[in-house]
Amino acid sequence: MTELAKALRDLDEKKVHELVEKMVEQGASYTDIIKECNEGIIAVGELFESKKYYLTELMFSAEIMKEIMDKLEPLAGGVVGREPVGTVVIGTVKGDIHDIGKNIVINFLRSNGFEVVDLGVDVPAEKFVKKVKETGTRVLGLSALLNTTYPEMKNVVDALKEAGLRDQVKVIIGGAICSEKVREFAGADYYANDAVAGVKICNSIYG
Amino acid sequence: MSGEVTDLYRQRLGRYQAAIAMETPDRIPLSFSVGCGAKVTGHNYQRQHFMYEPELFLEVLLELANMYPQLDTMHPGVQWAPFWDAVNSRMYRVPGRDISPDSIHQFEEKEYMKDDEYPLFIEDPIGYKMNYYFPRALGEFDEKGSIRSHVAFLKAGLAHMMFASIMGDVRQQLVEKAGMPVAFKGAYLAPFDYISDFYRGLNGIMKDMFRQPENVIKACEAILPYMVRRAMETADPSREYPIFNPTHKPCFMSPKQFDTFYWPTYKKGLLMLIEAGWKVRIFLEGDWSPHWHHIAELPKGTVVCDVDNEADIFEAKKAFGHKQCITGGIPTDMLILGDPEDIRARVKHLCETVGREGGWIPNGPGHIPENTKPENFQALIEATIKYGRYYEGSPPEPRTASNNSNTAGLSEPNVITPWEVVKKENGWEVPGDEKLIKKYWDKLEQMAYNLIMSM
Repeated sequence: MTELAKALRDLDEKKVHELVEKMVEQGASYTDIIKECNEGIIAVGELFESKKYYLTELMFSAEIMKEIMDKLEPLAGGVVGREPVGTVVIGTVKGDIHDIGKNIVINFLRSNGFEVVDLGVDVPAEKFVKKVKETGTRVLGLSALLNTTYPEMKNVVDALKEAGLRDQVKVIIGGAICSEKVREFAGADYYANDAVAGVKICNSIYG
Repeated sequence: MSGEVTDLYRQRLGRYQAAIAMETPDRIPLSFSVGCGAKVTGHNYQRQHFMYEPELFLEVLLELANMYPQLDTMHPGVQWAPFWDAVNSRMYRVPGRDISPDSIHQFEEKEYMKDDEYPLFIEDPIGYKMNYYFPRALGEFDEKGSIRSHVAFLKAGLAHMMFASIMGDVRQQLVEKAGMPVAFKGAYLAPFDYISDFYRGLNGIMKDMFRQPENVIKACEAILPYMVRRAMETADPSREYPIFNPTHKPCFMSPKQFDTFYWPTYKKGLLMLIEAGWKVRIFLEGDWSPHWHHIAELPKGTVVCDVDNEADIFEAKKAFGHKQCITGGIPTDMLILGDPEDIRARVKHLCETVGREGGWIPNGPGHIPENTKPENFQALIEATIKYGRYYEGSPPEPRTASNNSNTAGLSEPNVITPWEVVKKENGWEVPGDEKLIKKYWDKLEQMAYNLIMSM
């Protein structure tokens, strides 16, 4: 593992910035730098799965990654290999305005190279359907905190069916309140109780 | 109050208190927030109605008590929307006002305190609140010093008193008409949660823990006395009912962060309240399993913990449930999507395991969800009665608190303007009873100070 990947894995923000600046000075490409960062992010995900890192560490790794990506933006234009892994449309379903979990997932997805379309909170089914059609995405994420949202998750899946889009997209329901029973009730394809699990599913769909 | 109603009250309270004290009641108590209360009793009231007129919520609770006399407590409801409207709290989404009238009220965090403002907050929390925080977080204080903002302060004070009076009446009616205790009175919040919920948001404090850890610790220490004082002021003076304590951020934190930033001041506050004679009902929101071994550090039988469904109730029992009463264990999806047979089997299993020797109360994820099927709610009650009896005979008598200290080891309450200052400013010679004047000057100053700190 490179020094940069280790620094990101270890959440040493200062070191990450120093190493990136050094690499830029030495003429490293955007792609090379991001590749090393990604190694670090994957390591963070593994530490999360093995319960050595927790959500706040996950969030901080995504924060550092976001800063680096913003810093490297001038280098990034028109770069080959900058293609996203895939597109994910995500939002908190209608009736729920909570977004902490959704935003953790979004940041982690972006750190893992996904393009994410964030529809925000309290999103009605029609808006999800419209965006799925518009983007041609293969993944739709429905986030929720409140356990009163089960029927609304089902609404969204039903609306996709009605619009003839059900086969285009895999639906992942996310949040602590989700389970196999809820997935089945809603007619979704997957459920995820945490960000790392969600990102893994997205990777498997686009893999 | 009739003799029968008095007896019912004493039985329920004694049963509930015994479970909390980790002594054996006659049977497992039934004490949880019945989110599906309106559904079960067939009321058409929407959430908005309850948040503006708790008297309507009382109607539902009285009917619930009538339908299900096996219940031992009622969760009385803790928020009043007119207060938020009066100050225009930007943090709350209010049912009927900006979200669906059926929705529970929802909380939206923001970084109202900037990351470089910790020293200002630590140095003078109330000054920081008045000068920086209120204009950002409360819409009615946009224009500092305006007549509108002054009126908003007055309205906030009036609303606070009105709500206290309404809830006092709700509690009294539950006792006198239904012999029903409430599950808790008053609220304590961990210093870390206070700063994270209302000032920095999770995103903000997450970065602060890495970038300025000392400031996070100092801020928690600075705010702790206010959290304890607020809890004491809102709590039941007779100590019959526990104080409520929702927890928010531990489920996001690593053990190292929890041990460094959350637990020290949180524990200090809990112990102060316990030593002053109260028990505390803690909602362990999310997965507390990396941290809950700490709960066993508290004196036995002093807290009752609602275990959320992200965590394993059996692990909770092992980790700290030998010392403190726990509630929980019935999965959310089972209550909402499952069938009565599922519920009965689950309750039986819990009664025979985590509830076998006491110290357990059935519950969903800190509450019985709003969309719980009524037949599942019925099955929960019946199964607990069937499988949850410890002995035949009367429940234990309610207990009186062993300590009624009102200071909880705190220093003198804070005021903005001490009596001596205003006396000197006005040149009052005070020929009469100065103690009498000072008593009420101080009382009002302290009430105002506490209210400002809680807003």
